Amino acid sequence: MQDSNRTASFSGVRAQALAPGLPRARRKTDLRRIIFITLMLLPAFAALGVFMYYPIEETFRLSLNKASGLGDTEYVGLANYLQLFANEEFRAGFINVLLWAFWSVVVQIPLAFFVAFSLTNYKNRVTRPLRAIYYLANILPSAITAMLGSLVFGNTNGVISSLARNLNITWLMKVDFLGDMRLAFMTVFIVGTWTYSGFYIVYLMARMEQIPTEIREAAHLDGADGWLYARTIVLPMVWYPLRIIAVLCVVGSMKVFDLPFLMTRGGPADATKTLGIILYNRGFRDAQYGLAAAVGVVIFALSLVFTIFQFSLQRRGGDIE
Amino acid sequence: MKTRRLIVLVAVVICLLTAIPGIAQGKVKLTVWGRDVLDDDPAHVSVAALVKGFEAKYPDIDVEWVALGDPGLMDKTKIQMAVGSGLPDIFQTWGGTTMGSYADKGMLLDLTAELKNIPGSAAAASAMTWKGRIYGVAPFFAVAGIFLNEGLFKANGISTKFASVDDLERAAAALKAAGVQPFACGAKDKWPPLAMYMYLTNRYGGDIFTQAAARKARFDADPFVKAATLYQNWVKKGFLGDKPLGEGYGDAQQLMATGRAALHVTGSWMCAQYSSADFTDQNLGFYAFPTIPGGKGKVTDVMGMPDIAYAATKEAASKKAAAVKFLTYAMSTEAGQADPGRIASMPGVISKSNLTKMAVAVFGQSKTVQFWWDQNLPAAITTPLNETIQTFFLPETNVKASLAKYEELAAANIK
Repeated sequence: MQDSNRTASFSGVRAQALAPGLPRARRKTDLRRIIFITLMLLPAFAALGVFMYYPIEETFRLSLNKASGLGDTEYVGLANYLQLFANEEFRAGFINVLLWAFWSVVVQIPLAFFVAFSLTNYKNRVTRPLRAIYYLANILPSAITAMLGSLVFGNTNGVISSLARNLNITWLMKVDFLGDMRLAFMTVFIVGTWTYSGFYIVYLMARMEQIPTEIREAAHLDGADGWLYARTIVLPMVWYPLRIIAVLCVVGSMKVFDLPFLMTRGGPADATKTLGIILYNRGFRDAQYGLAAAVGVVIFALSLVFTIFQFSLQRRGGDIE
Repeated sequence: MKTRRLIVLVAVVICLLTAIPGIAQGKVKLTVWGRDVLDDDPAHVSVAALVKGFEAKYPDIDVEWVALGDPGLMDKTKIQMAVGSGLPDIFQTWGGTTMGSYADKGMLLDLTAELKNIPGSAAAASAMTWKGRIYGVAPFFAVAGIFLNEGLFKANGISTKFASVDDLERAAAALKAAGVQPFACGAKDKWPPLAMYMYLTNRYGGDIFTQAAARKARFDADPFVKAATLYQNWVKKGFLGDKPLGEGYGDAQQLMATGRAALHVTGSWMCAQYSSADFTDQNLGFYAFPTIPGGKGKVTDVMGMPDIAYAATKEAASKKAAAVKFLTYAMSTEAGQADPGRIASMPGVISKSNLTKMAVAVFGQSKTVQFWWDQNLPAAITTPLNETIQTFFLPETNVKASLAKYEELAAANIK
C-alpha cells in the first residue's frame, strides 16, 4: 500500500512537472527532483544492464552462431539447438536434471519437513546444535561437500569401502557407488540432499516457529500430538513455504553443476551428466561457445518457466496481490 | 616560497618513484601463468626453482607467477585467448593443436629467430612449433609407458620382460589370480584411460591415428575397434579392478603407491612421485609398451607430450628480450637439473632417480613420437574422445558403435 502511494505521488509529481501553467519555480524544483531520482536509479539500471541484460542478450545472440572463440563467428540460426536436441548426451543431461528435480521434491522436501518439525517441536540440548549441524553443509563450499561425499563413497579409500574391507563384507566391497551406472546418480543425489536440505530445514523452521502457541495448545487439548499434530495442523500452515521450496528445488535442479562435476565429472558415461556440465564442457573445454550458449539458453528457459510457475503459486497463495 | 614548493614537489616525485620499485629500478615485470603453486611438492619443485633461479640471475626482471591449477590454467587461457585481452606474457602450455589455434588467431609471439638455436630434444621442439614457427620451449617432455611394481612381480614369480601384449595379458591374469589389481588407471577422471588406448591402437595399426586425424582414415577403422575390444575385454576380466569407473587418477596413484595395483600405463610425469620415499615404499620401474603380434606398431613408437612447456603471448611483444631470457633460462641445464623426476629436454641434465633413468631410456630408444591424442585434435572433439574411451569400461558398450559416433563428430569438426 505504501509502495503504491509512493508511485502515485511520483506520477503526480511528474504530471505536475510537465503540466503547463504551474509556477516556474515549482516546475524547476520538480524537474530537479526527477533528475535526482533518475540519477539515483541510474547506477542500478547500469549495473543490471551491463551485468545481467547484456550478457543474456549476448548469450541469445551467441547461441545462434557457430563460434570457437578463436576466429570468425558464423550465423547458423537454430542449428545449435537442433544439434543439441539430436544429441544423446544432451538428452541424457536434460533427463538427469528433470530426475534431479523430481527426486529433490520427493525426497528433500519431506525430509526437510520431518527434520524441521522434529527440531521445532522437540527442543532439548541435543536439537539445538543439530540445527547448526544440518545447516552446516549448506554453508560449506560445494568443493568441500563433494570432497566429503567422495571420501564417504569413494571406492579406493572411501569410508564405506574401507569399512566393508575391514569387516570383510563381500557384497558391500563390490558396490561401486560412483562408478556404477545404476548407482552413481543416486549417490551424487544423496550428497546433494545432505548439502541442500539444510536451507530448506531452516526455512521451514522459521515458519513453524511462527505458529502461535495457542494453536499448539488447542491442538494438544484436542489430542492432536506428534504425527497427528504435524499432519493436521503444521502441514497446512507451512503449505505455502513448502510450495516455494518445491519451486526453488526444481529451478536449482535445472542449474545443478558443482556436485556431479566434482564427484564424477558427469560420468560414468552420461549417468550423472547435467545441463550445467554439458555447458561447461562445450564452452570451456571444447571451445564451442555457440553450442554452450544454446545450452545456457535452454537452462534459462527452463528456469524461467519454473520461476513464472513460482510467481503464479505466490499469487494463488496470496502473497502478491 | 617557490623554492619550498619545488622541494616538496621533488620529494613527492621521489616518494612515488620509490613506492613503485619497478619504475625506480627500471625493472621489467613478466607475468607467467602456470599450473602449479611454487612449493616443495616433488611435482612442483622445478617450477619453483625456475622462478627463483631466474630472478636471481636476472635481478632486473620480476616474475609474477600466477598458479591457476588444473583445469583452471587451460580454461582461463582458452577464455582469455578467445577474448583477446587480459593475457599474461608467458603461459604454461602443452603445445600441439591447442597452442596452434592460439597462434592462428595471432595471440602468440613468434620467437622462431630467438629460440631456434636452443639445444634440446627434437620432440620437445616439434611440440612447440606450429606451421614452421616456434612459439615457446618445452623444458620437460613426458612419454607414456608402463609403471610396474617390481616387488609384486618378483613376489609372484612374474617376469617383467614383455615380448608382446600377450605376455602383458598373461602377467595381468597372474596378478589377478594372486589377488593384486593388475592395472591402476583412474577412469573416473575420463582422460587417464587414453594412455593405454593410444598404445593399443598404435600397436595394432601403427600410425592409424595420424591418418585419422588427417582424415585419411576413420576413427572406427579396424585398429581402433580392435584396441577398444581388447581394452573392454581386459575391463571385463577385472584387469582394471573390480570398480574401475569409480577410481580417479588420484586413487590410481594411491593403489600403486600402496602396492594394491601392479601396473599403471601413464605419463612419465609420475616418476617424481613414484620414486619419492615420502609417497611410496614400493619399488617401481618404467617400461615401454610391448607390441602386438601381427600389429603394425613398433616398441619404438612412443606416445608423448610436453610435460612442462611455456609459450609467449603477444602481450610480451613490448618486453620480448625479457621473455626470451625467461624461455632460454627455462631450457638451461641449471633449471632442468632442479626437477627430481621429469624427463628433461635440454642436454646435460643427469636424472636423479632410477625411475627417471628408465623413462629416459624409453624416450631415448624411440624412433617415432606420437603426440598425445587429446593435444593433437581440434578442441571441439577432445572431451568427446575421452568420454568415448570411458564407455569402453561399460560391459554393455558396443565399442564399434561408440567409435562410429565419434567418427561422425570428427568428420564434422576436422577440416
